[in-house]
Amino acid sequence: MAAQAQTGAEQDQSIEKEIEQFRELFSDAPELGKKALENAIQVLKSQASNPPPPVESAGRIGARLGKVSELTIIVPLAPGGAKRLRAFLRLLGGNLSQGADKVGTLHTMRFVFFDNDTRLLFATAFDGDWDTYIDDFVAKIPDYLDIIDSAWDGWPGIRSPGAKDYLAKHQITAEGWYVAYPDLTVAEIKRLQRIGKAVDEFLDKVA
Amino acid sequence: MATQILTRPEQDQGVEQKIQQVRKLYADAPEMAKKALENALPSLISQAADAQASGSESAGRIGIRQGRVSELTLITPFAPGGAQRLRTVLGLLNGNFSGGTKVGTLHNMRFVFLDNDTKLLFAMAYDGQWDPYIEDFATKIPDEMDIIFSAAEGWPGIRSPKVKDWIVEHQIPAEGWYVAHPELTVAETGRLKRTGKAVDEFLDKVG
Repeated sequence: MAAQAQTGAEQDQSIEKEIEQFRELFSDAPELGKKALENAIQVLKSQASNPPPPVESAGRIGARLGKVSELTIIVPLAPGGAKRLRAFLRLLGGNLSQGADKVGTLHTMRFVFFDNDTRLLFATAFDGDWDTYIDDFVAKIPDYLDIIDSAWDGWPGIRSPGAKDYLAKHQITAEGWYVAYPDLTVAEIKRLQRIGKAVDEFLDKVA
Repeated sequence: MATQILTRPEQDQGVEQKIQQVRKLYADAPEMAKKALENALPSLISQAADAQASGSESAGRIGIRQGRVSELTLITPFAPGGAQRLRTVLGLLNGNFSGGTKVGTLHNMRFVFLDNDTKLLFAMAYDGQWDPYIEDFATKIPDEMDIIFSAAEGWPGIRSPKVKDWIVEHQIPAEGWYVAHPELTVAETGRLKRTGKAVDEFLDKVG
C-alpha cells in the first residue's frame, strides 16, 4: 500500500485529512450518525493508521479476506421458478448439507427470495479463488446446480460454456467483507476439529 | 420438532409425498433440470428423510439456524447520500469491518450495494439466537452500528427501543441455509485454533 511508504508524519496528516472528509460527508447524515462518528473518531483514526488486512479480489469477481471469499448473486427468477426452488429446498429441510459438503470449500450458503418471489439472493462464503470454486461446484454437484439454477431466468445449464459468464454477470462484489477467521479454510477447520478430539481423548486417558 | 414424533413409515410417506410434489412442479421446468432431478433422486430421497430429523430451525424472532449458526439477511433502501457515506466508511477500513471481532459471535458479514446504489444488502452468519445477538451489537459496537446504518432509510438508532422492530421489518428469512461446521461457534473455533497451535508446539518440542 502506498501509505506504508509514507513517513509517520505524512501518514498522520493524510489520516487527518481523511477524517476531515468524513466529517464533511457526514454533515448531512442524520444526527445520530454524526454523533456516532464523533464518538468513534478515535477508534477510526487508530484503525486507519493501523489498518486491518485489506479485502482483496477473489479472482474474476468477488471479495476475499485472507483465505475466505464471498460470492453474492442476485438473479431474476424464471416463471414458476420460485415455486419449484422453494419446494426443492423444503424437501431438504432448507439444509443442503449432503450436496454442499461434497464441494469441500464452502463455509456458508444461503438462498433468500425477495421482491415478491421475483428475485433470488444466493450468497456463499468459500475458500480461495472464484474460478476454482465454480469449477468445483460443476465437477462435484452438477445435478444440484441444474435443479437449483433452472429456477433462474436465462440459466444456460451448468455444462454450458456460458455458465460462468452468466454467474459473473449476476454477481455483485461486496463493498465490505468480514470473516472471523480469515486464515482458516473449511479443510483446516476440519483438521482442527480432529486435533481437538484427539487431544480430548488423550487427556481422558492421561486422567 | 413435531416431525420427530412421527413413526418411520409415516415419515417415509411424508418424504414420498414431497418427492412427488417436487417432481410434479419440475414437470414444466427446463429439460436439463428435469434430467438433473431424476439423476439426483436416489440421494435426494435419503437426504429428505434426514432433513425431517435435522432440518433448519428457527433462529428465534426471525431467520433460520443450522445447529449453532444462524443467518441474518437484511435488505434496506439507502437514505439520501447514505450509499456514498457508507462506501467511504468501508473504504477507510479497507473493506474489512474488523470491529465485528468485538461482537465475538460473528462468523462472517457482507455489505453489498444493490440496484444502482439505492439499496443495501447486509448479510451475516452468527452464533445462536436473534435477540441476544442484536443486543450484543447494541452493547459492544453501538457507534459503529450507527455510523453504518445511518446510511439506511428510517434507521431509528441502535439505542432506540424501536431498533429491533426496524431490523425485523427489513430482514428476510432465508429458505435455504447451509453451514459447513454447524456445531462450531466462533468461540469454539477460537479454542480449536489455540489447541491446534499448542499441539504443534508440543510436537515440535518432542520432535
